[in-house]
Amino acid sequence: MQLEPTLEQAEMRRAVREFCSREVTIERLLDWERSGVGVDEATSRKVAGLGWLGLGLPAEAGGGGASLADVAHLIEECGRGLLPRPLLARMRGALGLAWLAPRSPTLAAVARGERTVALALDERDAREPAGWRTRLAADGCHVSGDKAFVPDAEAADLHLVAIGAPERPRFVLVDRRAPGVSCAALHSFGNEPQAHVSYREAAVLEVLEGGLDFDDWRRHQVALALAEMIGGMDAALAATVGWVKEREQFGQKIALFQAVRHQVADMGTRFTSARHLAWQAISRLASGSLGVTDFHSAAAWTGASFKQICWTAHHLHGGAGFVVEHPLRFHSERAQSLCIRWTPEAPALARIAATLLD
Amino acid sequence: MDYGLSPRERAWRDEVQAFIAEHVDERLVDETRLRGNEGRGAEAQRFLGALRQRGWDRIAFPEEYGGLGKTAIEQWLFIDEIETAGAPMLPLTLTSVAPTILRIGDEAQRREWLPRIQAGEVDFALGYSESEAGTDLASLRTRAELDGDQWLVNGHKMWNTMAHMATHNWLAVRTEPDAPKHKGVSMLIVPMDAPGVSVQPIHVWPGLRTNAVFFDNVRVPRANLIGERGLGFYYAAMALNFERLSIGSAGMARRIFDALVREVRVRVVDGRPLRGDPWVRDRLARLRVELDAARLLGLEVAIRLDRGEVPAAASSMAKACVSELAQRVADTGCEILGLDGQLHAEEPSALVKGRLQWLYRLAPMLAFGGGTNEVQRDIIGFMGHGLPRK
Repeated sequence: MQLEPTLEQAEMRRAVREFCSREVTIERLLDWERSGVGVDEATSRKVAGLGWLGLGLPAEAGGGGASLADVAHLIEECGRGLLPRPLLARMRGALGLAWLAPRSPTLAAVARGERTVALALDERDAREPAGWRTRLAADGCHVSGDKAFVPDAEAADLHLVAIGAPERPRFVLVDRRAPGVSCAALHSFGNEPQAHVSYREAAVLEVLEGGLDFDDWRRHQVALALAEMIGGMDAALAATVGWVKEREQFGQKIALFQAVRHQVADMGTRFTSARHLAWQAISRLASGSLGVTDFHSAAAWTGASFKQICWTAHHLHGGAGFVVEHPLRFHSERAQSLCIRWTPEAPALARIAATLLD
Repeated sequence: MDYGLSPRERAWRDEVQAFIAEHVDERLVDETRLRGNEGRGAEAQRFLGALRQRGWDRIAFPEEYGGLGKTAIEQWLFIDEIETAGAPMLPLTLTSVAPTILRIGDEAQRREWLPRIQAGEVDFALGYSESEAGTDLASLRTRAELDGDQWLVNGHKMWNTMAHMATHNWLAVRTEPDAPKHKGVSMLIVPMDAPGVSVQPIHVWPGLRTNAVFFDNVRVPRANLIGERGLGFYYAAMALNFERLSIGSAGMARRIFDALVREVRVRVVDGRPLRGDPWVRDRLARLRVELDAARLLGLEVAIRLDRGEVPAAASSMAKACVSELAQRVADTGCEILGLDGQLHAEEPSALVKGRLQWLYRLAPMLAFGGGTNEVQRDIIGFMGHGLPRK
């Protein structure tokens, strides 16, 4: 076993942490939230300039050629530092494109940060690919359908659109500004600009193929969510430890109350086990040695742990952590929105049960 | 990061698994369940003999004293495999007493005790707790006074498991009555056949036996005090690497869970397969996730040991988590089995050999024994998160 990050990974983590502590202040998070776009142009350019959007893209396309594990280290730190969600969505979009079509001619522009990609997967009445009704026209050059809850849909240059098909889903790339594409912005918690998107005979730029099959592609996306959640729950735990050491009630630090101390202990235990389960799944996915239930266990436990840790963190912070200016609620929002989108517990448990019993 | 085993780790795990396949059978597993992990029935003795032949009885010893030189991760793999197989773990004589003598004893004491331990001539019970000194061990009252070249021991010990079979007792005694309570305790080796030692059985809920042991003017050679006078509390509290790895093993809970799953796969209730019930599927899946998570807390202990850290908080996390998870496995298992879940192992129709109800009866002890989970959570807070004590 080798459970330490490499020197390069550790250095990257340190750099991301420094960037986030410098650039992602609570004041900016509030400004970005009020603006409705989630992040300003200057910060977007800085992140693109650092090469993070293209870190995991193939070197032949001008990307960083980094492994899934490398990218997961980056994302974990982004989760810890509350990097604006549109930027995380763009990283996912870029990687999503590269994993589906590693020889796509569009990748070079994405790697340079000139174009960004939004993932248009879900539909209002379908959570699984079999239910997707978005279709490719007979000419193979136009797409029609309605996608829901598309992150960063209005700001992204390109949409990676999932097409329902009887055998397996297919994916195409569409220019967001193309005729027939219209976005309706949504207000949701999670500080993540999203939109419902309608495609009406929208021109297809590229049919994406030659990469991972859908199940494997989705596992790679979930791996990124696991990493982001680990970073977020570590931050929530650290904030809580700091708070209970300082906060005084009844004439003493609240950490001196055993009831408080034990809740912190349980947060730490939950975080430690979730971190191992998540990273075990990520590293095994990256090395192609994934066990039958590794991923489902990691998804179920990590998501539930992130939410549980945030709830306990809120409880121990009391009113101080309940105000909108406190970063804790950003983590709590991300905990729930990441779980809903990427790691819902019930389907993961159902798959584990099927493995155990069927 | 790589959670896969290195070639050396894989070879070691394969070797342990092959050993288990050769030496662990249903008779041994049943005996271990009936007599407890520390019971030494005929099957356990046979198994221990086989471990000795391999030299694996010295796995917890420092390498310079004949230990195997295994990393903490390799020791964790060993424990995980043994526990999951349902075989008896190495006795505390080998995993606790002997390594402690090696660490704190003088050269004469090492020569006196180590060869006899390794030969299986002496076997220890651990005499720490008393009626008024459980979690608050430093309040123990059993005293030893120097009388010439002998210690005169008076008092009693509770929960002295194995005392009725052991040759010696590894006894925490108060030797400095005027010192602060944490600094007045010493470790003394007391032969169980010494005049004045008497043993009374205590039968506990899961059907196991432990003991109360009484010391009435028991005379012990002066040289039997191991380590420095007055430091016994710290020696008793000084958890050794192997103990830190063992205390949080999820192997037993995992084994019983797996047996439960096997039963649910084939059981038919109300004319329908039990495995089709949504609540059964959900509960089993949740337990499986928790077991996966708990197992990796043991790995956290091993990682920290191999880094050269003292993993006090990590082993407390594992201990508290696994002991409480065992309760949930037992409770859920009994509920899933329904009225069958209450049957003792001796009942021929008992499902899963009555293991769920047995674990249900054992599980409370897992949480309060070996340092209550309240103390474990305090340790996590103090040592793991730097929370203040005052």
